[in-house]
Amino acid sequence: MSSIIAQNHTGTEPADSVRSYPRFLWWGLGEATNGGLGFYVWMFVLTAISLVGANAWANQVAEGMIVTNMTDHVSWGLYIANFTFCVGLAAGGVMMVIPAYLYDDEEMHKIVIVGEAVAVAAIVMSTLSVVVDLGRPDRFWHLIPVIGRLNWPVSMLTWDVIVLNGYLLINLHIVGYLLYMRYLGRKPNPRWYVPFVFLSIIWAISIHTVTAFLYCGLGGRSFWNTALLGPRFLASAFVSGPAFIILVMRILRITTGYSAPPGPARTLIQIIRVAMTINLVMLASEMFTLFYTGGAHGASARYLFFGSHGHYGLVPWIWTAIAFNLVGTILFFMPSALDRSTVRIAACVLCIVGIWIEKGMGLIIPGFIPSTLHEIVEYTPSLVEWKVTAGIWAFGFLLLTVLLKLIATVFSSEQSAATIIAPAD
Amino acid sequence: MLTTVTAAAISYLLLGNGHGADDSLSTARTEPRPSETTDLPSVVSPKFAVSIRKPQGPPRVITGLKNADGTEVTIACVTCHTTRPPNHNNRTVKDLDEFHGGTVFSHGSVSCLSCHNERDYDTLRLADGSRVEFPDVMKLCAQCHGPQMKAYEHGAHGGMNGYWDLTRGPRTKNNCIDCHNPHAPQFPKMRPTFKPKDRFLEQPRTKH
Amino acid sequence: MIADDNSSPERQADTDKDWFLPVVDQPSTRRTALKTAGAALGLAAFGKAISPLWSIPENVSVDEFLQQHYKELSDNDKQKVFQRLEAEAKDAYGAEVTISDPKPIPGVRFGYAINLSKCNGNGACMEACNRENNHHRGVDQSYIRVLEMSKGSMDMEHGTTTYDHTVPQDDKFYMPVQCQQCENPPCVSACPIEATWQEDDGIVVVDYNWCIGCRYCEAACPYHARRFNWEQPEIPTDEVNPDQGYLSNRIRPQGVMEKCHFCLHRTREGRAPACLEACSTGARVFGDLNAPDSDINWVLKNKRVFVLKEELGTQPNFFYFFDS
Repeated sequence: MSSIIAQNHTGTEPADSVRSYPRFLWWGLGEATNGGLGFYVWMFVLTAISLVGANAWANQVAEGMIVTNMTDHVSWGLYIANFTFCVGLAAGGVMMVIPAYLYDDEEMHKIVIVGEAVAVAAIVMSTLSVVVDLGRPDRFWHLIPVIGRLNWPVSMLTWDVIVLNGYLLINLHIVGYLLYMRYLGRKPNPRWYVPFVFLSIIWAISIHTVTAFLYCGLGGRSFWNTALLGPRFLASAFVSGPAFIILVMRILRITTGYSAPPGPARTLIQIIRVAMTINLVMLASEMFTLFYTGGAHGASARYLFFGSHGHYGLVPWIWTAIAFNLVGTILFFMPSALDRSTVRIAACVLCIVGIWIEKGMGLIIPGFIPSTLHEIVEYTPSLVEWKVTAGIWAFGFLLLTVLLKLIATVFSSEQSAATIIAPAD
Repeated sequence: MLTTVTAAAISYLLLGNGHGADDSLSTARTEPRPSETTDLPSVVSPKFAVSIRKPQGPPRVITGLKNADGTEVTIACVTCHTTRPPNHNNRTVKDLDEFHGGTVFSHGSVSCLSCHNERDYDTLRLADGSRVEFPDVMKLCAQCHGPQMKAYEHGAHGGMNGYWDLTRGPRTKNNCIDCHNPHAPQFPKMRPTFKPKDRFLEQPRTKH
Repeated sequence: MIADDNSSPERQADTDKDWFLPVVDQPSTRRTALKTAGAALGLAAFGKAISPLWSIPENVSVDEFLQQHYKELSDNDKQKVFQRLEAEAKDAYGAEVTISDPKPIPGVRFGYAINLSKCNGNGACMEACNRENNHHRGVDQSYIRVLEMSKGSMDMEHGTTTYDHTVPQDDKFYMPVQCQQCENPPCVSACPIEATWQEDDGIVVVDYNWCIGCRYCEAACPYHARRFNWEQPEIPTDEVNPDQGYLSNRIRPQGVMEKCHFCLHRTREGRAPACLEACSTGARVFGDLNAPDSDINWVLKNKRVFVLKEELGTQPNFFYFFDS
């Protein structure tokens, strides 16, 4: 990908941008591994957790998926739940691009690149979440177009493979291009990134819609088989994405001094307020049809919210999610959420955790309980599943830290970067 | 309701399963097959037999005595019944005060002599009094259980072993009395021998 | 600051030298050396962490790794694959097996029906399936599940598979559920890599050597008909059924999906499925839907037949009926 970006410029830019590219990568590698003690501790901890996850996954591959707590009844678990959330995060990361470019909100641009970086990390996490869910990762090549045998366009999963990888490439290009131009001390040429930004906006909506279609297209799973699932996914992504970026911006400001003016954050809060309200309204109308109509359609919902036939495994999860979402929403509507306050941080954390549960343990798992033959087999993730998932998150954060570090460095020291490069030019 | 089962009109089922193919196939079955299906036995080729399991002959009565070699002494029904006149008042097992007392009997309102031939106890009798040999016992069952017999003839009762496709191999079918004790024909209750041992699948915790 | 680690050729030489003579008062190169050491350590730790993966090359031969999709294999390829699988069965299970690949009989469309008035839930069909199809003995795997349902209700929510008492109970009826071999199978649409498909005789099969184990088909199936091999199946050598079909009952590898295939290694040779032969109540009827005078067609024409979850539009080739 990187070399493609570089080659893209051969027509319009001086040739040296190609020759500088390896230098840029080398610089990036150095910069990503430079920092203070806190940075090294952070990176060390993330690496350690990633390694624990990698080891757990390797054992799972060797011994079989019996080490997870998934069964033929609940055949998808924490991995796919986490996948769904990460896709939402990835889509949400780009949501803020919409006000930035559609409404030409200049101040948003500084956050946009952070959003794109979050999208890259989140897509990598969601892809990893699917890979660890495969029973035969050694046959991964069967999924590669041309050499494999993709069941396109019938299988929604092939759509997901295509849109997720496409989205990763688009965002890598945008982030990489903007970083590289800043590194060279040049003004980015809109021709090389604005079309991709617009593409990524549409694409962000498509990745989450396709992921929702993965579930809601299954007639045999009545809990998922609702047209509202796609819109619900989008609405919750509009919350979790911006909320995550607000948190990231706060951490960046504290650790690197990279900060944006308060205006964009306020725009984000406004987006969250609207999206979270819509999300809760849709959740409520979903619950109405499930419970008022009753019957077998509502069996999963009954199990999820109130337990059924003596099984209550998911009840604490969903009520936690609902409480977090409601409290988070109320906090977001408080005036102090518009300031850089702890209220805002608390609201973001509550909504992110709330949506993670609502979309994962509260949506994927109850789709399988009761089973299609109405047997109730409960599911709690095994230690291996938690390890692998933690490893994926740690790796995602590792990647995000590296990307953000480069962004913060380039944006706060544009001038110096330009002068250092100058002799080479 | 996704989980309930709905009845389908039979016509739908037939339409849904290649109604058009029926005609072409019925022709294919009466004419020589086209060349691409030469690996199949041609329809005009003889079909394999459907054989029905049959009892060897009249049952033997266990006397409780042992031969010198330890085997049971069994005797034919006629051993006693040629010397004893039939008693038409004996209708159920309870009425029998000398022999066959242990027999479990639960077969509607028929009496012993509805089926056992009083003129020759080594055979059976139909309702019209005509004689039936033991190996042909199914004829006797069928006179009352017509729908079951009809289903049996079409493979929908009694099960089978062997080949569903008679152009490729033979089929064996059970006799009525393989599964149904003629004196107490209700299919016996049994204990399930094989259960799914799925992880985390428990008995329901509450009564449905 | 930014150029600290820019590698001009001179710097590179310095760095190399530092490997042998670390110079404490040169912070930037020392840092590079430390980083290199850290990276080496990290890589070593990563290699150690994923070391269980080395079992893959032991268990998966190059030929198996590169094996093409069933439909792309020539007859010659297939013979080689079958020989390899036979050798693997000998190796792993100590059993002499024969792997065949019977093709659909032209013009035949299989149908199956169960008489719910007859079925008494004794589970002999499940056991026969387990034995015939080389299922994992540890969990008593089977393609069939028998539901004990309340008379007067078709609501599966009031059914259970875990009943453990004398059958049949007076107020219950028993409903075996297995793959319905749908005309419009949701599992086939779901599979991202065409590892499962419908054959000309209506049987939905799985290429166990192509499946990647994503389990989307298992989520898509409305009948709980699909099973995943959570671990390598355990089968005692003397219990391995040596009469095996590539697309049916050969011993499945770990990590792939499997499902009922109407015993195609038997039924495509004209024989009855194992579950039918095992049924002691005679509740099962199997045959060719395209043959007008077949047993299965007599049932469809003369009994009030229904299919499970008709509203989903899956159009099963599997039917249920009651004696009236």
